[in-house]
Parts: sequence; C-alpha cells; structure tokens
Amino acid sequence: MPLPKFDYLRPQTTEELAATLAEHGADAKLFAGGTDLIVVMRDKLVRPKYVIDIKGIEELRELSWDERRGLTIGAAVTLSELIASEVVRERFGALWKAAGTLADPTIRNRATLVGNICNASPAADTAPALLVLWAEVEIVSANGKRVIPIREFFKGVKRTALEQGEFVRAVRVPNPPEGAKEDYLKWGRTRGEDLAVVGVAGLVANSGKKLVRIALSSVAPTPLIVPEVEGVFKGGGSVEGQIDKAASIVVEKISPISDVRAGKEYRLHMAGVLTKQILKRILGAS
Amino acid sequence: MKKYSYVGKGVPRIDAFEKVTGTAQYTADLRLPGMLYTKLLKSPHAHARIIRIDTSEAEKLLGVRAILTGKEVPYKFGIYMQDKETLAQKKVHHVGEPVVAVAADTEEIAEQAVELIKVEYEELPAVFDQRDAMKEGAPLVHERLHEYKHAPFIFPKPHTNIANHFKLRKGDVERGFKEADVIVENEFYQPQVQNVQMETHTSIGQWLPNGQINIWTSAQSPFAVRHLLSVGLGVPIHKINVVVPYLGGGFGGKAGLHWEPLVVLLSRKAGGRPVRLVMTREEQFNTTAVRQGFYARVKTGVKRDGKIVAEELLFLWDAGAYADYGVNITRAAGYSCTGPYEIPNVKCDSITVYTNHPYGTAYRGFGHPEFHFATERQMDLVARAIGMDPVEFRLKNAALPGRITATGEKLREDAGRVDECIKVVVEAIGWGKKEPKQVGGKLRGKGIAALWKAPAMPSYTSSSAILKLNEDGTVTLSIGSIEMGQGTPTALAQMVAEELQMPIEKVKVVTKRETDFSPYTWQTVASRGLFMEGNATLDAVRKLKEQVRETAAELFGVPKEELVVAEEKVFVPGKPDKSMPLAKLATAGIFPDGRGIGGPVLGYGMYTAEGLTNLDPETGQGLPALMWTFGAQGAEVEVDSETGEVRVLKMVSAFDIGKSINPVLLKGQVYGGIVQGIGSALMEEFIFNEKGALLNNNLTDYKICRAQDIPDEFVFIPIENPQRNAPYGVRGVGEHVRISVEPAIANAIYDATGVDLFEIPMNRERVWRALKQRGEKVASA
Repeated sequence: MPLPKFDYLRPQTTEELAATLAEHGADAKLFAGGTDLIVVMRDKLVRPKYVIDIKGIEELRELSWDERRGLTIGAAVTLSELIASEVVRERFGALWKAAGTLADPTIRNRATLVGNICNASPAADTAPALLVLWAEVEIVSANGKRVIPIREFFKGVKRTALEQGEFVRAVRVPNPPEGAKEDYLKWGRTRGEDLAVVGVAGLVANSGKKLVRIALSSVAPTPLIVPEVEGVFKGGGSVEGQIDKAASIVVEKISPISDVRAGKEYRLHMAGVLTKQILKRILGAS
Repeated sequence: MKKYSYVGKGVPRIDAFEKVTGTAQYTADLRLPGMLYTKLLKSPHAHARIIRIDTSEAEKLLGVRAILTGKEVPYKFGIYMQDKETLAQKKVHHVGEPVVAVAADTEEIAEQAVELIKVEYEELPAVFDQRDAMKEGAPLVHERLHEYKHAPFIFPKPHTNIANHFKLRKGDVERGFKEADVIVENEFYQPQVQNVQMETHTSIGQWLPNGQINIWTSAQSPFAVRHLLSVGLGVPIHKINVVVPYLGGGFGGKAGLHWEPLVVLLSRKAGGRPVRLVMTREEQFNTTAVRQGFYARVKTGVKRDGKIVAEELLFLWDAGAYADYGVNITRAAGYSCTGPYEIPNVKCDSITVYTNHPYGTAYRGFGHPEFHFATERQMDLVARAIGMDPVEFRLKNAALPGRITATGEKLREDAGRVDECIKVVVEAIGWGKKEPKQVGGKLRGKGIAALWKAPAMPSYTSSSAILKLNEDGTVTLSIGSIEMGQGTPTALAQMVAEELQMPIEKVKVVTKRETDFSPYTWQTVASRGLFMEGNATLDAVRKLKEQVRETAAELFGVPKEELVVAEEKVFVPGKPDKSMPLAKLATAGIFPDGRGIGGPVLGYGMYTAEGLTNLDPETGQGLPALMWTFGAQGAEVEVDSETGEVRVLKMVSAFDIGKSINPVLLKGQVYGGIVQGIGSALMEEFIFNEKGALLNNNLTDYKICRAQDIPDEFVFIPIENPQRNAPYGVRGVGEHVRISVEPAIANAIYDATGVDLFEIPMNRERVWRALKQRGEKVASA
C-alpha cells in the first residue's frame, strides 16, 4: 500500500537537523527506524509534508559508556546494536532484556531506542527499564539544549515533552548504584512476538540506602514508575510480606484500560503477578 | 525387481528449488503491459442502505481509468447459493464490503481517487449473532433470498436469515434418549477466524473488446472460477481463460470465486486493459472471506456400559454476509456430525445463518475442526458422567468397518481404522501413566480426541490428467489441481516415475494451471487431490503405455500383450532385438523403410468419484463419502494457573492414510496442520465492536502461532490400511491433521486443572478467568 506523498530530507549534522526542524517542524516527522512511522503513514493517520531521516547524522549513532557519565544512546542507535553491546548486557541488564523483547529481530534491526520512547506508546518496552535506571533525555533544538529525566518525558498516549522544533539527541543512562540488581518482565498474549499486555522493570540496590524501583508499561496512559513501592521496603517484616505489599500498591496506583489486547482486570492481575515475580528475582527471595 | 522405487520415499519436493530461491512466480509477481491497479472503497457500516455515491471528484483525477459502483454490475455469484454481489448494490451487508472500485495507472492514484469518493449511507439495524439472526423479526441480511438460485442440495428458508438447513435423522432419537441411563447436554462456541494465507487474495483480469476474458488469479479452483464466472456473467466458457501460477497458501480460503469478477468488470470499463487487485492484510481480514463462527448444542444419551444410544445435535453457523461455501460446510458437518462413532439414533440440524459479519468460506477442515471441538469435548464429558475412561469410551463406540454411519452408510471393509489411530496415540502419549501433575508450580495434563472426515463435494466430481511423452523420452504431466504447498505434484511425479520405471528427474509436472490447456479438475479442496488426481494420473499412465505398445507391436510384429514399458524402453522381455527407446516413439513410430506409424504419444486419464449419492432432503440418508480418513490427536499441556498460560508440550497424532507416498512431505503437512490448530485453539479469533467492525484486522492483534508457540515435541504415527480403490491405497489427509487439535488440548486442560472449557480460543486471559471462577466457586462452597 502506497505512502502519502512527502519530501524526504536527510541532514548530515545535528545543527542541520535543528535548522530543518525549525523551518518545517509543524509539517515534519523524524524518521529513524521507521517501524512506527511507516505504519501510521501507510494507514494515513499522519501525512507529513517532510520526512526527516536522521540516520545520516554520524553523531546520533553514538553508543558509548564511561565510568563517570554512564551510557549514552544516540537517537539513531538500533535495538539490535544495543543488544549486541557487551556493556549494556553486563551493566544495564533490565534495558538489555527489555530491548530483546521488543517485537522481533527484523524489527529490532531497524527500530531505535529513542524512537521507541518518542513514539510514546503506553506499551513501550524500553520505557520501564529507562525509568528504573533513572535515565535522562537530552533534547536539542535550534535554540539550545535541555536535559530532562525520563519520568518527565512521557506526557500522555503518544505525547511527549518535546516541543515543536525539538528532537532527542540521546538518552543517557547513569551507571546503576553499586551492587544493583535489575530485570524486566514482559507479559503478552502469546509466547511469540507481541506487544506488552503488561511490562514491569525492577531495580534494587543496597549501597548506603536501600533502593527499590518498579516501573511498568501498558497499565496507564504512559509508562510509569511507582515511587510508593520504595517505602514498603524501609519498614520491617518479612521480604515475602513486603513483596506482597509492594504488588498491592502497584495494582492500586495503575489505571489500565480494557482493549482488544486484554481486559482491565487481567492487566491489574498480571501487573501484580509480574511485580511479585520480578521483586522475588531481584531481592533473591524464593 | 524394480529398478526405480519412489512411492513411499521422502524424495525432495519438485518445486523446492524455485520456492527456496524465490524464482517461483505467484500472481502478484506478474506485470502485464498497460496493467492498471485497483483500490477499493469499503463500507464503514455493518448494514446500511446506499443513498448516494458521488464519484465526480475522483473521475477528474489524472490517471484514473475506471470507477465502478454496484449499480453498474447487477450480477450475483455463488458456488452453491447465488447471493454474492461484486460491489454492494443497494445496501452494504458487512463492514469492509467493497462499495466502489477504482482502477488507475498506479496504486497511489487509485488510492487518492478512493479518498475523493463520497458515499451517503442510511444505517439499518444489524445482526451479529447467529442465534439472534434466527429470531422472528431479526433484520434480514438478504430480503430477496427467496429469489436466489441455489444448488439442489441446499435448503434456504425464504424470508429468514437461514441460507441452508441440513437435516439428519437416523433411527428414533426420542426412543434412544428413553433407553439412556445418563443424558449429557452441553453448548460450545467458536468465533470467526481467518485462513491467514501468506499470499493475500490477488487477481488480474482482462475483458477484451472481442469478448475474450483472461484471468490470472490466486485461486484453488481455476475451473470453478471459469464456470462460476460464466454462469454469473452469462459469458460462454470458451471465452474465459483462467491462469493460476503458484499459490501462496490456500487453506480453503481461495476455493471458488472471489475477486475475479471485480477485476474483469473493471477491465471491461477500462477498455480491456488488464486490472490487478492485491488485497492488503487488513482487507484479507475484513473484506475477503473468513471461517464461519460456530455454536453447537450437543445432547448425548448413554448407557452405563458406555454405549451411546442417542445424540441430538444443533449446529448454528455464523455465515456472515454471504453463504459462499458456508452452506455446504453446514451440510458436510451435518452428515459427519457424530464424529468417528456409531450411534444408532441421531438427530442433527445444521443451519447456515446470515449475519452482518464478514462472509464465511471454506477453511481447512470444512467445518470439521469446529464441530469436532464440540463432539470430542462432549465425548470426554459423557465418559466422565458415567465414570468411564475417555479412551475406552471412544473405542467402545468407534465407527469400525461394517458399522453404520449417521447417513446409513455401512463402512467398507477397507475403510480406515479409528481404533488403531486411538490406540497408537494413547500408547505414545503415555496415557494413564503415573506422572507428576505439578511441575515447577505448573499443572500438567493429557487429552485425546479422535476425528474423521470425507471429501465434501458433489457426488459426481471428477479429475483428469494428461501425460505426454516427449521427443527425448522424458514425460510431462499436466493436471488441473493447484500446488499450494501441499505437494501433490511431487507425489504424482513419484507415482509416474514408479509406474513407468524411469528416473523421477525425467518426469515434469507442469506448474502453471491454465484452463484453456490444463485437463479439468473440479477443485483443489477437500483433501481429495492425491486420491482423485492420483487415480486420473495412473489412468493416464495406462493409456500412455497402451499407445506405446500398440505402435511398438506393429513395428516389432508381436502381439501388444507381450510388450513391457519400463526403463525408458518398450520391449519384449528376454528378446534384446525387440526393444526400443521410448524416445523413438514419441512423435510417431518409424518402420525401417521410413514409413511412419502411430502418432504423438499422449495418455489422457480420468477419474470420477465412485459410489456417492445425493442425501435425502428430510433425513440426510445416503452415501456422501468417497473415503473416510480417520485419525486421533493427543496433547500434553502445561497450564500456569497464575497467568492462564497454556503451553502445548507435545502433540501425538495418527491418521489412517492408507499409504504414505512421501513421508517427508506428509510430516510437513501434519506439523503444519497441528500448528494451525494450536493457533485456533489458543489465540486466533475475530474481535468485533458492537457495530460489527473488526478490531483486530492485522497480525499485531490477530495472533497466529510463531516459532515460540509451537509444541516442544511432535510425534506422528502413520497408519497404513490401504483403501482398495485409491492410488497405492492412499487417503487424503491435508485437512485432517488440523482437526481435533482444539478438543485434544481442551481435554488436556481439564486433565491438568479440573476446569472445563467450552469456548475457543483458550487464550491466557480466558483460561485465567475460568480458573479464577472455579477458585471462587470452590472458596464459596
């Protein structure tokens, strides 16, 4: 099925990209992997006059890590590249695992992590992992640069904090606290490739003060972190009891809908199940 | 001692190279000079009157060559019921029905034109559930049903939504229930699903000004396309040529006529230019045909000793907007309704009901996967009610040779054996073996289900084959049956090579089917191909040999009875001087002095289904079956009661196929069918909103099995009790492999969890709900 007519632009530098967006922002769509954009264009849900391909910008291909700054994932880095990275696998386990559950290998060869968050689907697979990892989003426009926490990036279904003329240059993920354990669990309708009915990322660390973070996808208009979970583990009681309490808080704080993929009741139930599973795993409880 | 042996061997597919390298041509690969591209404007409503269509803006668009509306094409098509409109005429019958078609120089232009067309509708009350559609005063999907032409064995009820009511009456079911010690009654339900062929429906049509119609199409039935088009348009058959290249999957959904009339009519309006239509995946779900939805009520009367004495069945089919094959599916399921068991008193009403859903058509198994879900679940439920092992219960009632089917047919002595199938499956799955019920917190269980099916077709259908001897002694076989992945051409090449005792590399089976040249066959459906084309091919081999011997007898001056055709020669055994390569006879025999004799060697073979009769309209009694293929499926599952996930660990299957011609291709058929069955059992379903719009018309939300969803282990056990009137004893099995997968899994889920499921798909959420409900009941008890 043909796409609506558009002009294809391929800037070579971020400056050029910022200038192009400043000029055409209202009529333009950024094009990285295209695995979301092409679908909505084919369905005529969007009809951009300009499609701006960012894959020609070398700077956006950056995938780097250092001890101080942590991980930097440029806007053109594909999920397959991320999965192939040793440092991501060893130091950012939840993110590595989440990336590997997104769609299937053919999609991951094209799709980018930044594209996944900019699409701002409530079901974005990489979002919960980025949330528990305290990731930051580096936003650039012709007017300059700003950095915001990923928590403030998602504004609603398919809506982000990006203003007209802005683009995400990279996602930065700080190194997890010493001794952190993290994981991502995804529940779909089948074992094969599927969108998340519920996705849960968890992170625990015990360096100085106890950290417990739980974030979810597909259970609210945006992927979200449930900060109230942390308080449960500050108090006493058995780990099992704490885990049950944490799961019930999660179920209370989320607001899933019923749709063609699952009913609200099942999503609430599975959010609780996955929260317990992931906490058991990362807290080492049986 | 035979030099060449191919039958029973796993020789590689003859089309493997083309398909693996991508050189095999499918309809969508064809590009004809001047070809136009089609886009459709489809109905957003399930049921609405068309008030006005304004195409004026679209007509102005450069590159638009033809715009067609239903008013201009007042034809009705249909294989058994002439009800199908090419484009909606006065009203739309379902969401996704084509209303206007545009043919343009490019797909882009056609699509732009469609966006410029305005249609005004007046919505009508719609009906979506076949039970509601049967009620007095329900909105009528077809008000003129009483005027429609239909096949004599289809029984519509005028001024209702009933397109066919098949009745089966054997014995006295009321008396039977009185004799019964226990009566068990249950209801079962299945939604509409789709065949999900990799290749979507694709057709190219050309109606030349001289009256010649040319069609290239993704069809399972080129001769049916030609015939139905001829009837529907009133064009003589010799003016229509239908070409079918390779088919990218059929599964029944490409049987009969689909979009061929539309492209042909567009071409006529575009002055004879070829017009192509390729359905998008969304259109494949919304607009092309699907599998009917199904509701069943089954009431069984049984004696304490396990003998079933009476069964009453009601099958209600959600045919959607048009009857298509649905009316004959209703009939086929009706006459097979008992499953592979002998029951003395049977009453079955199998009813096709129009609704405002997408229209139903054939789907691998032709109603049998649907009704076996009901009857094979019922077998377990009845066995439980009398405290009998479900295997023992099935064997006790099994339809063995000599027993009487529901239509009064006495099963032949060489009919297959369902009891053998059941026994080997039970053995291989470890039925009754003490094994842990819980593994890693998950529940395990086993279930079995038996099955039978005969080809569903008119009583007199036929096939033919042409075998030509080429100038170098190679041979070329032409058949009308399509290659759609099932491998029939390979199996036929094996038979030809074996019969002629020549290398299989020297046997070619023509890939393209073209009605102007190919020998006739009814259709490539019903698991009939290997049996019927096989018999026709063997007949063609006999005729070819006969012609060779006649000519050679003259040349050698010996009686033709003394001559043998083998190893690419014709010869008198033991007389080296009376021997001649076949190549020397291909075009004519030649005497030493140069005189010619005989002529080009060509064997024309045919076969017509034997021993079938019409069924009595009131009782369904008669002989509907060319052959019965029996089988059994066993499933071992693991259920996670926390999430509702059902994982099929192992599938064990046995079918009495008579003879395995190619064990490798056979295995492919079996595994593929089971995977398709698992998809239907665990995940596939059409989900509509309250206005009848399909919410999951794509492969994101209509789930089919992917590699991760298939069982860890397959065990297939062929049973080979030959059928005497079949080529090498074979029986069809293309559909059977996909039958009774659902009930075997459902029965295993019960074994694992103690929860009975009556509805498919048994997806995670539905199983979770059922387990939760049971938990709540137990808690409150």
